[in-house]
Amino acid sequence: MEQAFGIITSASKLTRVEEMEKYRPVGAFSFLGRYRVIDFPISNMSNSDIDRIHVYIGDNNPRSLVEHVGTGRHYNINSKHGKVQMLFSDSARKDNLYNTDINAFQENIEIIQRMPQPYVVITPSYMVFRQDFNALLQTHLESGADITLLYHKTDDARENFLNTYVVNLNKQKGVLSLERNSGTAKEKNIFMDTYIMKKDLFLDLISRAKKVSSIYQLVQIVNDSCNDLDIRGVAHRGFFAAITDFRSYYKAQMEMLDYNVAKVLFENNWPIYTRTTDSCPTKYMDGAKVTNSFVSNGCLVEGTIENSIIGRGVTVSKGAVIRNSVILAYSVIGEDVTVENQVIDKWANIIHVKELVSTPENPGYVHRDDII
Amino acid sequence: MQSEMLAMILAGGRGSRLKDLTSKVAKPAVSFGGKYRIVDFPLSNCANSGIDVVGVLTQYESVLLNSYVAYSGRWGLDTKDSGVFVLPPMERADAALDVYRGTADAISQNIGFVDNYDPEYLLILSGDHIYKMNYDKMLQYHKEKGADATIAVIGVPMKEASRFGIMNTGEDGQIVEFEEKPEHPKSNLASMGIYIFNWKLLRRILVADMKNPDSSHDFGKDVIPELLREGKKLYAWQFKGYWKDVGTIDSLWEANMDLLDPGNALNLDDHAWKIYTEDVTALPQYIGPNAHIDVAYITQGCRVEGDVTKSVLFTNSQVCPGAKVIDSVIMPGAVVEEGAVVTRALVAPNVHIGKNAVVGSKDSAEITLVAKRVKGDE
Repeated sequence: MEQAFGIITSASKLTRVEEMEKYRPVGAFSFLGRYRVIDFPISNMSNSDIDRIHVYIGDNNPRSLVEHVGTGRHYNINSKHGKVQMLFSDSARKDNLYNTDINAFQENIEIIQRMPQPYVVITPSYMVFRQDFNALLQTHLESGADITLLYHKTDDARENFLNTYVVNLNKQKGVLSLERNSGTAKEKNIFMDTYIMKKDLFLDLISRAKKVSSIYQLVQIVNDSCNDLDIRGVAHRGFFAAITDFRSYYKAQMEMLDYNVAKVLFENNWPIYTRTTDSCPTKYMDGAKVTNSFVSNGCLVEGTIENSIIGRGVTVSKGAVIRNSVILAYSVIGEDVTVENQVIDKWANIIHVKELVSTPENPGYVHRDDII
Repeated sequence: MQSEMLAMILAGGRGSRLKDLTSKVAKPAVSFGGKYRIVDFPLSNCANSGIDVVGVLTQYESVLLNSYVAYSGRWGLDTKDSGVFVLPPMERADAALDVYRGTADAISQNIGFVDNYDPEYLLILSGDHIYKMNYDKMLQYHKEKGADATIAVIGVPMKEASRFGIMNTGEDGQIVEFEEKPEHPKSNLASMGIYIFNWKLLRRILVADMKNPDSSHDFGKDVIPELLREGKKLYAWQFKGYWKDVGTIDSLWEANMDLLDPGNALNLDDHAWKIYTEDVTALPQYIGPNAHIDVAYITQGCRVEGDVTKSVLFTNSQVCPGAKVIDSVIMPGAVVEEGAVVTRALVAPNVHIGKNAVVGSKDSAEITLVAKRVKGDE
């Protein structure tokens, strides 16, 4: 798709994953053991033949994100006429009032202006879904709309997706407005922070937003434009998760444990690329009991794993039991330790405490490098 | 361009004792250990030993092998002045196209390639062994001894020594005699087919060997004996560690089974000496709700919904509900369908074992190679 370049925005200002975000932006969160969340938007673009991709680094502590994306070579992007660029901005700190997507675009405006493609596809780094942007662009072109937005219809908006926007549509899928999900109704069209429009219109919206407010966001100026512009919604089908808080991060991964759900996200003809670490296969020893789980490579398993997601290089010692948990890479679950409904961050050692049990509604969290 | 030591991997053999497993691919490209190919071992060893330039001499069914090794970035050998070079036999201005007539001839035909790098030493490796070795340590030994050539050797059980090329050495490790498959071995130090030569010397020997009509152009049979005849200083460098020639279905199966051993000396989980391989796009392994896993080595892309006992599952292989895999090796993309039972078998890549089919047996003396689809209940 020579017609469009891609922009991957950082997590919205509404996103707060308090503990985990201390270590990395949501885009760099581990997902299903061997991926990071940003692998999904970049792979979506790569598979849609978008080979010029801007990744906005807009959060605290971007080290692991930058390291992971690197040159972008592993995303199967043409190494000559394609590239992944990481774009920074001065105000990119979560607690900074001026840390908005519009300000980040403004600070990199020359780069956007120089892009030769007439269209732009904008998608966020904190949502997990599969989408063919090529098909979406065709829909956009055929409709003649000024802006096409992607949304996901859910009947779960009262308890979930609370830190996202919703799209209000008329019967012809015209967008009437965009507003915060207030959790007042079950059925909502969750806005996936994904836009297709002409590059020129995008530039125009950036400058208009700056005139309204110095802390305006793209979603706000688009909402303001609903009467003047032809803005249409397209429904996304398939798996969708918005990682806006700790619970949604945990929940999204637990949903993957239904293999049929995972199959929807991972289709054979739609590879999700990631960076290899050259880990060896996983070794299951005498005493291992594993059911309904995704296990990454490089693990050593001598204990029990049920309904869990295990990252790379995790040690599950003799007598250890892991249930309904997400264990990030290189952690050690010691002998006879029971871990239930937890997210255990990278390099943690659970060796002293014999029981770490929380409820599924309020999963527990163990910090990176902690010894417990 | 100058390199102190260049490596040449002999990867031209068919490995016909691997039967149908090598009917379409060369032996070095055969899968091993869940996610690797055999040639990943010498290539990763080179990369980890600080060798920048590696020539891979290919001949038999080389299309897949050539494209596989040419992607030098897999082993980190893609920096400036480094690389993996595929060297099949080719037509040249001064010589007619000829196949590689032997291991030594493969190098002889590529003297020009080696000369480009003007190396002090040439390391000769074989593309069909499983082991981890620091070739730099061997080079240090070679230099310390002031050797003309150094041969890596490994102690083998005395009763098996007559199957190998045996080095008889003096007390300081100097080789006094080389015997190919001796009936009455005097030592148990077997040649690993890994040699370091001083390039200038080897070059002279090879030029002469090329023209010798009585030569079989083989390192073991011709080059080493010639060096000994000339009274050159040949040393044996004793390697201690895991080493396996995976030349037969049984030994390939066995080497895979070795990975299940908790004390396995190969240790592929060594972060200081990783074995690098192709990066495939695959989900993490999924172990289903009714799966039973009892001692196994499993890699990404696998989907296990049946029972797996003492087995190695390769990339993207599948064990369906109710299926049983026991003491077996399931190669990439192979599928064991519902209710099928696989025992003491090696299932070749992408082969399907049909519903309720039974292959292999726990009492069979030999490992069953399953290289074709096995029909099951329709």
